[in-house]
Amino acid sequence: MLGELGTSSLTVGLLCATLTALLWLRVALFGTPTRPARLATAATLTTAAVACGVLEAALLRHDFSVRYVAENGGRQVPLYYTVTSLWSALDGSLLLWLLVLGGYAVLLAGRRYPARLQAYAMVVVSAVTVFFFALSCFAANPFRAVDPVPADGPGPNPLLQQHPAMGVHPPLLYAGYIGLVVPFAFALAAPLAGREGRGWLRVARPWTLVAWAALTAGIGLGAWWSYAVLGWGGYWAWDPVENASLLPWLTTTAFLHTALGPGARRAGWNLVLACASFVLVLLGTFLTRSGAVASVHAFTDSPLGPMLLGFVLLAVVASTILTGWRPPEPAGRTASPVLLSRSTAVLVNGVLLVTIAAVVLIGTIFPLLSGPLGGVRTSVGPDYYHRTAVPLAIVVLLAMGVTPALRGHDRTRALRRLAVPGAVALATVAVVGLLSRPGLPALTAFGTAAFVLTGLAGELPDRFRRSGRGRLAGLVAHAGIALVAVGVAGSSAYGRDAERTVRTGETLRVADVSIRLVGVDRRGDSGGMTVRARLRLSESGEAERTVTPVLRYHPARDTVVTLPAIDTGLLRDTYVTLIAVSPDDGSATLRLAVNPLVGLLWAGGALTAAGGLGSAIATARPRRVGTPRDRARPASGAVRAGAAG
Amino acid sequence: MRWRPAAGTLVLVALLAAAAAGLARSAAGPGQDDPVRSVTADLRCPACQGESVADSRSPMAAAMRQAVADQVAQGRSRDEVRRWFVQRYGPDVLADPPARGVELLLWAVPALTLLAVGYAARRTLRPRPRRTADRAAAPPAVGPAPGGAARWAWRWSALGLITVVVSVAVAARGLDRPGPDPTPADPVTVAVGLARDLEAQDRYDAAAQMYREALRDRPDDTIRLRLAFALLRAGDAAGAGQAAQEVLSHTPDSPDGLLVLGLAQRRTRPAEAPRTLRRFLTIAPEHPAAPEITRLLTSHP
Repeated sequence: MLGELGTSSLTVGLLCATLTALLWLRVALFGTPTRPARLATAATLTTAAVACGVLEAALLRHDFSVRYVAENGGRQVPLYYTVTSLWSALDGSLLLWLLVLGGYAVLLAGRRYPARLQAYAMVVVSAVTVFFFALSCFAANPFRAVDPVPADGPGPNPLLQQHPAMGVHPPLLYAGYIGLVVPFAFALAAPLAGREGRGWLRVARPWTLVAWAALTAGIGLGAWWSYAVLGWGGYWAWDPVENASLLPWLTTTAFLHTALGPGARRAGWNLVLACASFVLVLLGTFLTRSGAVASVHAFTDSPLGPMLLGFVLLAVVASTILTGWRPPEPAGRTASPVLLSRSTAVLVNGVLLVTIAAVVLIGTIFPLLSGPLGGVRTSVGPDYYHRTAVPLAIVVLLAMGVTPALRGHDRTRALRRLAVPGAVALATVAVVGLLSRPGLPALTAFGTAAFVLTGLAGELPDRFRRSGRGRLAGLVAHAGIALVAVGVAGSSAYGRDAERTVRTGETLRVADVSIRLVGVDRRGDSGGMTVRARLRLSESGEAERTVTPVLRYHPARDTVVTLPAIDTGLLRDTYVTLIAVSPDDGSATLRLAVNPLVGLLWAGGALTAAGGLGSAIATARPRRVGTPRDRARPASGAVRAGAAG
Repeated sequence: MRWRPAAGTLVLVALLAAAAAGLARSAAGPGQDDPVRSVTADLRCPACQGESVADSRSPMAAAMRQAVADQVAQGRSRDEVRRWFVQRYGPDVLADPPARGVELLLWAVPALTLLAVGYAARRTLRPRPRRTADRAAAPPAVGPAPGGAARWAWRWSALGLITVVVSVAVAARGLDRPGPDPTPADPVTVAVGLARDLEAQDRYDAAAQMYREALRDRPDDTIRLRLAFALLRAGDAAGAGQAAQEVLSHTPDSPDGLLVLGLAQRRTRPAEAPRTLRRFLTIAPEHPAAPEITRLLTSHP
């Protein structure tokens, strides 16, 4: 029963989405009233919500006649993970995708923008919705009936049942991914809307910031999840799925910056970057959901690959034609730009970010290309990214530190502003390099981060004086990025680990931390077999503590999951993983790692996301008319009417 | 105030010198390079998807790490160890193989992107007064499209939208769930190869562990026999006997199965051993182990 209800909600949704697209197209072409189109948009969201609700109900009621529940539900699964299993496999997560997309569409339809710009943007958003509804209906319908109905299901992938972040990470990531449809829609709508489309950048910016903040938080949470669940002691493996989330993040970051201030002149850049970001979202979905590239994260393998690839191509063709068709707005001032100016630095940063994106993209799709081109079909190791993306990232960081100082045309003042951060950076390099020898990349990263942080601290009083919360938020986001850089450099340079098989009573030692194996407990229950290693952890200067890393065997999917024991400290974590236990004697293979400064990663990620969100809130609010800053901005007047809604 | 620039320069020089010293010391220092890790990071774990041997938690990866550590301890270089693995398990075992030619893509694409985007940036920065003036003078971009054109746009767009939906529907019919990806390096083959190597190093316990690993993926009697031999050599007569029994339950006349069972029984159930071994001799009188067994039986009947 639930299955039929779900299928019909998807069918109705497909019809509603098609109707929505056509109605908005009518508004755009003939200037008809928008009310029917808005109603259809709301109806589409409702059908997506109903489909999600039905699948959730089927999961909670263990209705195994529904295919998705038979494949991903289980009676032994705790309630929380039953709820989150809605997005633990492709077909269900497609429903979440539709729900978020529908939500964005309704929000976008509810704002007041220049009529034609909004209508065309809504046409684009609705067309994307139609495609994904069609996918869900025809190719990945989670509601298909199962015959015979099984008595129980295997539950979601065991790796997805280990950490509460599972409830937050995928929805956040989706909010980020799908939010990028809005700048994409505006970028395509701007040339179509003609004169009304000129202000698209200002209009798209808050949406992009929200999506970017969500994406940042999603990536950060993903790294944390990987650290806390996968048990390998790291947080980023340059895995295709991780790369897929990084790619649009990089281009969106570039977009947000080229769209700033006098960036309105770089209309072509903004169009291309906004389109590229969403195309990369689609491409990432294709790469990771089609089984095209092998990945630890590829929890689902599906036949949707060719269709997604087709849609990627369609998006590329559409955006190329539309953005190349007609310049969306005439170029602004033509004053010769100063070479050492803020706008140049921002552009250089954009160039570097796009290059990093190219590095990550080619590294990710290399396995797909190398086979047909006569090589061995193989994935690219982290080594490649360390040699290419990391140095580029350090230069980006450096440019990020230099840029704020370059405001105004007075170069001597700019140099003077850079003096103190430069001195601090050099001092940091000297002290850290002489005392701890972290290796060149890490040392450079430390110096650059010190440069950025000191520069930001110097900016702080100035920004307070000039008010503008948006500017302060930008500062926070930049500080977050610098902290992440310190965290990455510190944990990779000073991290230590050891792995050994120890018998009961023996000790494994790394630096000043040691763990002694007290005993191994086994417990079998209906959901599988759990092995715990009881360990006494002692650190110099601290009392002994007991830690218990866990090894869990899930028979339903024949997988073993390791749950590391992480002892979080202010400056470093001790990270203990139980890798294997011997069946007869009481010995266990343990891995002990000391990970310094990882806390900075999570803190930095949170700061960056918060900065993005704060900036979005500040940009979305109508500006007070007539402040000197506004008057100094060319071409903002035409936009304000639209942006103020 | 003559002294200020001088003092500034002095501080700058001092800082630069100190930083250079820090960089030099850091670069020349012992570094973090763990030779075992640097090799294992480039080996693909055959039992898992997309993970390197250094990062994987699978028992096979642990055994491969041990194999690397042993070789590094023997003083072999990184390249020698890599060659050793490639010889045994094929080039697929490398996560980052030297795919000459194609590998150039990894460097050419970013370099070309940097050039192209850099060129675009240069063009953006160059002032273009003429073209801008043209554009400013050009009539404003179109207002609402004229009636006829709009109707055409409407019809074509509607048609396009329907085409997208229909093509998804049609494509979905021709699609099946993909079968499991044919993994290039077969985990079972690698596990068996690794186990043989371990046996050659007289590490029968670890070898047996690898055979078990392989058996979990492919319950094959040839592997089970090898497991039985390894267990026997590791001193686990009971385990060896059990594995041999399993083989014999499928093929009651397997000479190797009888051989291992008989040898295992000599320790667990000495009374039954001669009978099993005699049966072995009857079935496979030409077996390489036959003379040895005959000698055993005659000396300890």
